[in-house]
Amino acid sequence: MAVYQADALVIRSREYGESDRLLTLFARESGKLQAVAKGVRKPTSRQRAGAQLFTYADFLLHRGRTLDTVTQASPRESFPHLWNDLDRTLAATAIAELLDAATVREEPQPHLFTLTLTCFFMLAEVHPFLVQSLFALRLLEILGYSPRLEECAECGALIQGERVFFSPEAGGTVCSSCRGTLSGRTLSQGTLAFMRRLAQAEWAKVKRLRWPVWMEQEVRRALQQYCEEKFEHNLRSWRMGNEIGGEGINNQREG
Amino acid sequence: MDLLNYPQPLADLISSLARLPGIGPKTAGRLAFYLLQEPETAEALAQSVLKAKEKIKSCSICSNFTDQDPCAFCRSERRDRKLLCIVEHPRDVAALEKTGEFKGLYHVLQGVLSPLEGIGPEQLTVQQLLQRLEGVEEVIMAMNPTVEGEATAMYLARLLKPLGVKVTRIAHGLPVGGDLEYADEVTIARALEGRRNL
Ligand SMILES: [Zn+2]
Ligand SMILES: [Zn+2]
Repeated sequence: MAVYQADALVIRSREYGESDRLLTLFARESGKLQAVAKGVRKPTSRQRAGAQLFTYADFLLHRGRTLDTVTQASPRESFPHLWNDLDRTLAATAIAELLDAATVREEPQPHLFTLTLTCFFMLAEVHPFLVQSLFALRLLEILGYSPRLEECAECGALIQGERVFFSPEAGGTVCSSCRGTLSGRTLSQGTLAFMRRLAQAEWAKVKRLRWPVWMEQEVRRALQQYCEEKFEHNLRSWRMGNEIGGEGINNQREG
Repeated sequence: MDLLNYPQPLADLISSLARLPGIGPKTAGRLAFYLLQEPETAEALAQSVLKAKEKIKSCSICSNFTDQDPCAFCRSERRDRKLLCIVEHPRDVAALEKTGEFKGLYHVLQGVLSPLEGIGPEQLTVQQLLQRLEGVEEVIMAMNPTVEGEATAMYLARLLKPLGVKVTRIAHGLPVGGDLEYADEVTIARALEGRRNL
């Protein structure tokens, strides 16, 4: 099959050669793919809009010897809201990077595709870092890596106390007798309760969840560390989001 | 092309040429043979490559390519020092100059924020930018209309606005995803007219 169709999201788009882009696509049917979009950095290119990061498009791809090429890209959705707010851009980038880190090429993952598409839409009206954390928790659940957020990951005991040790290498919360030399960080019970609610909330109700800034940071950092451990990958955009994101969003959020 | 069939110096020339953007192995081969048949052209080309490499540096103020530091823009008395236009690469300065529309100064970022590629503010000339804002009334963001270009413009706007500088973004005329260097003069001139507040 020399030519094939893919209904896909652009999760990475790098400059390639003089005027091309090397795209990482996440397709509804076939999972992660890589393809070159030729000439798309020229304003005259018809494939240009479909080669932009975060675009959802119908692709026609040509299988090549080393790399596949995009022969046609008809955008279905370009998510303008992901372009006009820095925190939304950062959250979408964090989602794209985690999806890339957590998957291998050409392995069908229809649930992850739907999750990502839903989160990109949700970013229009839900707080960006809430969507980012929600994405990570649901992705972990789909892949069978959900962290323990209540009982000890080692012995199963229910954990008491205001601050609880969270260890990515152990698989989540651990009690004080099992902690030993495990690496990790302490989280408040409130943060853990919030993560449990986030992991289980119905989509329609996520919008109404509220969290204070310190909790948002605790959740994002814990999930970053956990995902980095599980997928053995440095999540650069998560780190950068911690550094340069977050300003000017307090007005959208009440305590 | 099998380079083993050529004498070593010729094979080296071909593979050096093939490393240039937009030049495939076939074109590289054609160029190499042409240069060997035109010794004067080859000599002049070799000289100018070496000379450019030796003389051209980054301007310590705006980071544009220059043979004198500060560059001709930064030294000029005729440029409007209240206007500062931020671009990704030196080639974008050339593209904007072609229009003859812009009379202010430039600042070359040397790229854009790209969290996925690990390019943060420290890899760009952001610190240099913050050090040259005295007397600047308006900063025009002329990054390419890509996600990264927009994110960079928004990030810089966040940094600059509290300092009391007017921040605008070129908007109309530039197609989404296109590189500034490929745009024609009319398009770029219109884009400059249509800049908006950030
Ligand atoms: Zn235990
Ligand atoms: Zn200069």
